[in-house]
Amino acid sequence: MSLSVKNLSIIDDHGKMLFSPLSFSIQKGEILALMGPSGCGKSTLLSAIAGHISPDFSYAGEYYLNGVLLNNIAVEKRKIGILFQDDLLFPHLTVWENLAIALPDKYKKEQRKTVARQTLSELNLLALADKAPSQISGGQRARVSMMRMLLAEPAAVLLDEPFSKLDKTLRSDFRNWVFAQIKKRKLPALMVTHDESDVPDPGQSLQWPWDEKQQNNVSDRNIKEKQC
Amino acid sequence: MNRSIQKISFLLLLAAAVLIVFVPLLPGLAGVVFTAFAYIPALELRTFSLTGFTELLLWPGLHKSILLTLFIGLGSTFLSAVLAFSILQSCWGKRYWHKLEKLLAPILALPHVAFAVGFAFLFTPSGFVARILNTIFSDLGITHWSLINDPYGLGLILALTIKEVPFLLFMSIALLKQLNINSTLVMAHSLGYSNAQAWQKIILPQWLPKIRFTLFAVMAYSLSVVDVALVLGPTSPSTFPVLIWQWLNDADLSTLPKASAGAFLLLLLCIVALYLIRFVEWLVVCRQRAWQSSGRRSLPLPGKSAILFTYVISLTTLPVLLLWSFAQRWSFPDLLPSAWSLRFWQQEWLFLWGIIGNSISIALISATFALLFAIIIHEYNQHSVTHKRLPPVPRLLIAIPMLAPQLSILFGIQIATLFAARQHYYLWVIWAHIFFAFPYVYLVLDGPWRSYEKRLDRVALSLGMSPFKVWWKIKRPILLPAICIAWAVGISVSLAQYLPTLMLGGGRIATLTTEAVALASGQDRRISAIYALLQSLVPFIFYILAIFISQKTGMMIHQNKVNKRSVDSDVPISKKSVNY
Repeated sequence: MSLSVKNLSIIDDHGKMLFSPLSFSIQKGEILALMGPSGCGKSTLLSAIAGHISPDFSYAGEYYLNGVLLNNIAVEKRKIGILFQDDLLFPHLTVWENLAIALPDKYKKEQRKTVARQTLSELNLLALADKAPSQISGGQRARVSMMRMLLAEPAAVLLDEPFSKLDKTLRSDFRNWVFAQIKKRKLPALMVTHDESDVPDPGQSLQWPWDEKQQNNVSDRNIKEKQC
Repeated sequence: MNRSIQKISFLLLLAAAVLIVFVPLLPGLAGVVFTAFAYIPALELRTFSLTGFTELLLWPGLHKSILLTLFIGLGSTFLSAVLAFSILQSCWGKRYWHKLEKLLAPILALPHVAFAVGFAFLFTPSGFVARILNTIFSDLGITHWSLINDPYGLGLILALTIKEVPFLLFMSIALLKQLNINSTLVMAHSLGYSNAQAWQKIILPQWLPKIRFTLFAVMAYSLSVVDVALVLGPTSPSTFPVLIWQWLNDADLSTLPKASAGAFLLLLLCIVALYLIRFVEWLVVCRQRAWQSSGRRSLPLPGKSAILFTYVISLTTLPVLLLWSFAQRWSFPDLLPSAWSLRFWQQEWLFLWGIIGNSISIALISATFALLFAIIIHEYNQHSVTHKRLPPVPRLLIAIPMLAPQLSILFGIQIATLFAARQHYYLWVIWAHIFFAFPYVYLVLDGPWRSYEKRLDRVALSLGMSPFKVWWKIKRPILLPAICIAWAVGISVSLAQYLPTLMLGGGRIATLTTEAVALASGQDRRISAIYALLQSLVPFIFYILAIFISQKTGMMIHQNKVNKRSVDSDVPISKKSVNY
């Protein structure tokens, strides 16, 4: 599994390119961190890949998942999971329902509850299954949110500053757990962040400005199929 | 469901919404203009002329009636705005504010006509207030002052103000939450501004432009109201809309050009008055903005007394109506009837069933359609924001049924229906009710739709759910409380429609409102009380039902949290940094 980006750039509504065209490829189980200051276009780039780009921007370039061009594929069919800094649990559903709703359609109605509860049990959160999202702590919500994304069986993961709202102690534990989950499931992941301590491996990050040299360095280390 | 089927169904519904909600504006406006210039083929008048305007201008009491109407319209709008603002200033964020907020629903559910009848029972020279005064200050006798049908329309101004203040408060709550004023107030207090100073110097300039459309609606309603003016307004001369209404109902069809010239003039007066509001807003917010930074001074505003007065008067009308409906003998100055009777209820009961059935069926159908269309237009507008190729439906177009005088538009629509199948009275009445209920339903949904956390949709889509499934399983349940309340508002607006029911129903469809107005001018207070009471109770039942359904889904508790969070996400980053 790989997530590749080819000559991707973001253009604002005045026609200005936010950064020079970007190319990289992320292999299964790898996490590429994209770093940069506010307003440089990191989150917009993630939105473009996820298919939710704001109308104030447009993009040029291509992005592929396992060699399949994603540009014109419907958002819900891309199989790209996304995790934001807010947990964004559905407030009208209980904790277990939030997980069950993510399961693919192959799961039967009765299976869904079982799988959701099993997942909660693995997280040691089974006691909270019937609670509303507003009744559990921030750290618990963050973990449920991550598991919800994974239960949808994504083929790649986008992380939009997912740790920035957590306090220091929680942040480190949650970060390690998220990275472990991604590696365990062998998913390619692209993360944007401000914080260097979020980067799992310095060689696996693009620092602002995302020049060609850095892109090549990342590619040389990881990308065999850069030319795909 | 297949994605293309979903798309086609949505487009079909959108087309139906546009056809039913916006198209009536065209015959509405065309009809009134053509008839005003005496072009009425049905009366063999096939040439344009100014006969209608000439007759109108020659009518002896015209100037007085127009001035009176402007005085009432401007006076009540100005007073409502000042009182609503002073209430917000004094009560927002206080411990009792949530209770005041909860009480808004029953007060808003009270239809204008029922309130007017109750108001009349309170303030006639032998009304409940006079009885209380007589009990306190014994032997006052029947006073000669009266707020009912007084020559200056003071009673009408007061009644309209009391009825519009809760509406302005209701609309302001959503706006103020969007403005994130709690942190603005914290900031202002830290700069040494008192609560009143912060509200007048910092919040007012933000509130006024946001509440503009609502003020337009209040002004348009106050200027063109017929039903409440028939119950409480001056009579020599009557207000201008009442005069037009009388001319329209004249058996002599030759008064038709004069009536339609009047309807046209009323439309122009309304436009001028709306510009006047815009001018005052510009004066306060832009032209005279030096006062905003001129130091910590503020005017004393009577917020707490205003809320007490508004709520007490509004809520007292119901028990007074109830007492009158069971009173057999209630002589002045007794505080309670000396003899009670069920006779009047028994006498009316048989007729009431049909009338209640009519009212509820029309209200249910029209409110449901208005709700469906409002949701579709909201979804379309959000879609157009994310896909810039599509133009959104302009807010002004949506608000026109609220901003233009009903009498003017309805007159045009009535003329247009003469060319179509006029005999389908129910259909025309339901159509008109949808048309007038739609903007209110749309407005109620506006805040929740704007503050809905759009990233929830993104997350759901990224989980592989189809757009329709995302809407049905995520957005609909989250917004269900707002949808239920909007439906109840639609029902209450439909139940309160007087002119559309009479004009397009050709007098053949009786509802609680048409009967309540007809009986209000009659001699028997007990019968009037029964109809006014029922007119109040029916929308109230639907409000309770809406709140019950909302709570049943367990959404009310979560909704506040969602709104709080999602409102925060709507705040510009520059303001956010202040909060964190």
